[in-house]
Amino acid sequence: MATSDLEEFRAEARRWCQAHIPADWRQTQVGVSDEEDVSFQKAWFQELRKAGYAVPHWPREWGGGMSVAEQIVLYQELAAHDAPRLVLAFVSIHHAASTLLAAGTEEQRRRHLPAILDGEIWVQGFSEPEAGSDLASLRTTARREGDAFVVNGQKLWASGAAHADWCLLLARTDVTAPKRKGISYLLMDMRSPGVDVRPIRNASGEWHFCEIFLNDVVIPASQLVGPENEGWRVAQETLSAERGMTMLELSERLGNAGFRWLVEECSRARPDGLRLLDDALVQDGLAALETEIAGLRLLCRGLVERHEAGTAGPVEASVVKLFYSELLQRMMDFGTEVVGLAAQTSLHKPGSSGWESGAWALDFIGSWEWTIPGGASEIQRTIIAERGLGMPREPEVAR
Amino acid sequence: MNIDLSEEALEFGRLAKRALEAAGGDELAQIAEREPDRRESLVGPVLAELGAWQLDPRDSADELEAAAALCRSAGYWAVSYPVAERLCRPSDLDADGLVVVADPAPAAAVGGLDRRWAAVTLDGRRSMATARPMAASPRRSAFVVELDLESVDDAGASDVPLGLVLPCWTLLGMLDRAVELARSYVREREQFGQPLATFQGVQFQLTEAEVERVGLEELAKYALWSIEAGRHEALDDALALRLAAVEAAERVLRVAHQLHGAIGFCDETVLSWVSRQSVPLRRLPLGLSGTRAELTRRLGRRGLTGIFG
Repeated sequence: MATSDLEEFRAEARRWCQAHIPADWRQTQVGVSDEEDVSFQKAWFQELRKAGYAVPHWPREWGGGMSVAEQIVLYQELAAHDAPRLVLAFVSIHHAASTLLAAGTEEQRRRHLPAILDGEIWVQGFSEPEAGSDLASLRTTARREGDAFVVNGQKLWASGAAHADWCLLLARTDVTAPKRKGISYLLMDMRSPGVDVRPIRNASGEWHFCEIFLNDVVIPASQLVGPENEGWRVAQETLSAERGMTMLELSERLGNAGFRWLVEECSRARPDGLRLLDDALVQDGLAALETEIAGLRLLCRGLVERHEAGTAGPVEASVVKLFYSELLQRMMDFGTEVVGLAAQTSLHKPGSSGWESGAWALDFIGSWEWTIPGGASEIQRTIIAERGLGMPREPEVAR
Repeated sequence: MNIDLSEEALEFGRLAKRALEAAGGDELAQIAEREPDRRESLVGPVLAELGAWQLDPRDSADELEAAAALCRSAGYWAVSYPVAERLCRPSDLDADGLVVVADPAPAAAVGGLDRRWAAVTLDGRRSMATARPMAASPRRSAFVVELDLESVDDAGASDVPLGLVLPCWTLLGMLDRAVELARSYVREREQFGQPLATFQGVQFQLTEAEVERVGLEELAKYALWSIEAGRHEALDDALALRLAAVEAAERVLRVAHQLHGAIGFCDETVLSWVSRQSVPLRRLPLGLSGTRAELTRRLGRRGLTGIFG
């Protein structure tokens, strides 16, 4: 797209943001109930959908079709205008959609992609109590019985499971095969009999983590994604790239919302008349963060472009995840520090806000979890060392 | 010069640790959060029975060291009670405790307690402090409330080192616990067919946390000795300790959380409680950069005197 077209698109996105982002959403979404949060998220998703902004990264035939450059512009404008984030639909529009597009059958795509646009919510059912970093050791079983699988087991850390309609499920279909060879990838209706969801409260008092207990849950064989027993490969192929793709929005938000607020915070005159921005240490800290954010944004853009061209390397997504998560932590740390005491007493984070919400103390705590899910930093470093740098595998590790 | 705590002080610390364990141990923080009204009754009487409130850390080295050991034990159980702050109470004001505060918005983790508080700023201005009602649930506020100050005098210079150092001993106790919890977790938790502790990448993270903790312990003993010895650099030493404590807490707790994985953020793990209770200690009265700025301002280009004079 020519630069002038892109600028035209930016103007259009900006006009849309000005007209459609509710000015008071931050106030109205503080302390809302779960039900209100879900209904606000669903309504906001439909607003974006009407404009063609809900799934810009999907193929055109399914309702997306924006170029990488347009997506970046859109994410920049949404962040700059402080749009609510699509928290609830995150797994649906990214992980579920990319799995269906890459490995699903035509029937599965027709069944679910339009439904996701209509508000169908997905959750990832991967981790288990004994299978965190070592995901391939998962024990949930799916036993073939005629045209169906019968599933038993327990999933953990399923964010948002309480509101999910469908689940991306990894389960063991061959208990005798080596652990990565006997796993299958299934689409599970969360309303199936035998599915029991229990929320877990986390350190900041929120309940978005869930446990999912599965007792003789019947899943029709038509809901298998990819070949039976090849679920591990399907998950690796569809999700490692996706892990990086989701960062495009997050990195633009970090630069255009989080960092901007940090600068505004530092620019404000304090009661003693001084501005933090005039302090050389603060300037230094901000400059270091801005440099790193610029690096992150370039990494994300490069990853997405190479992914679309089919030339992404095996470790790029890991580099992006590792860098984003640690940068987010440094930035929230700095934010909590510069806001000082006020950060201790500003403890209301609106629903629908991003990882940087402006409630710095809560954002600081929230940022700590980022180096753990979706492949802990230790796992990302192992991937980079082994697959990227060609280092030998750690000795005596049973895989 | 001997910066180690006396055997009596260490024994008092051990006694306190056992008494707090018998009173509920890890559950003390959980109950206090659930039932904020019991914050006082959960811990106050246990410590009274131990004779904690008869200790006057300003009176003798023995009592100062016993107070430090007590704070460390309270930190170990992450009790949500201002033990250090109560031990610092000034003798000449009608107050049950003392908190060091920073302008312009004084605050302290004293919410929900029916106690009289004195406050002192880093430059020694003393006030009587009235705690405002808790604006958020203890889950989120960790009992931090804003304080309204009523000025008393400028005679608090000698209160400041004590008021900074004892809470660092509480924080040290929390880091003792965090390292212990992380160590036992990685020895038990198996992934890839073996305990996490067998991975050198995990061992190195834990050893770095331990090095931080041990270094902080030495500095804590030194800053305490500096107060005992009545050195006029005691405030510099206290600020240096505070800076080290805040930095060490950040590194140790990050490692402990990272090694625990997601479970470390859940109520089921003690680490989650310890790290949340640590936040007010790390942020008040000054966080990392505020402490560093204050120390730099005081030292100028002179540097710390240190143990070798």
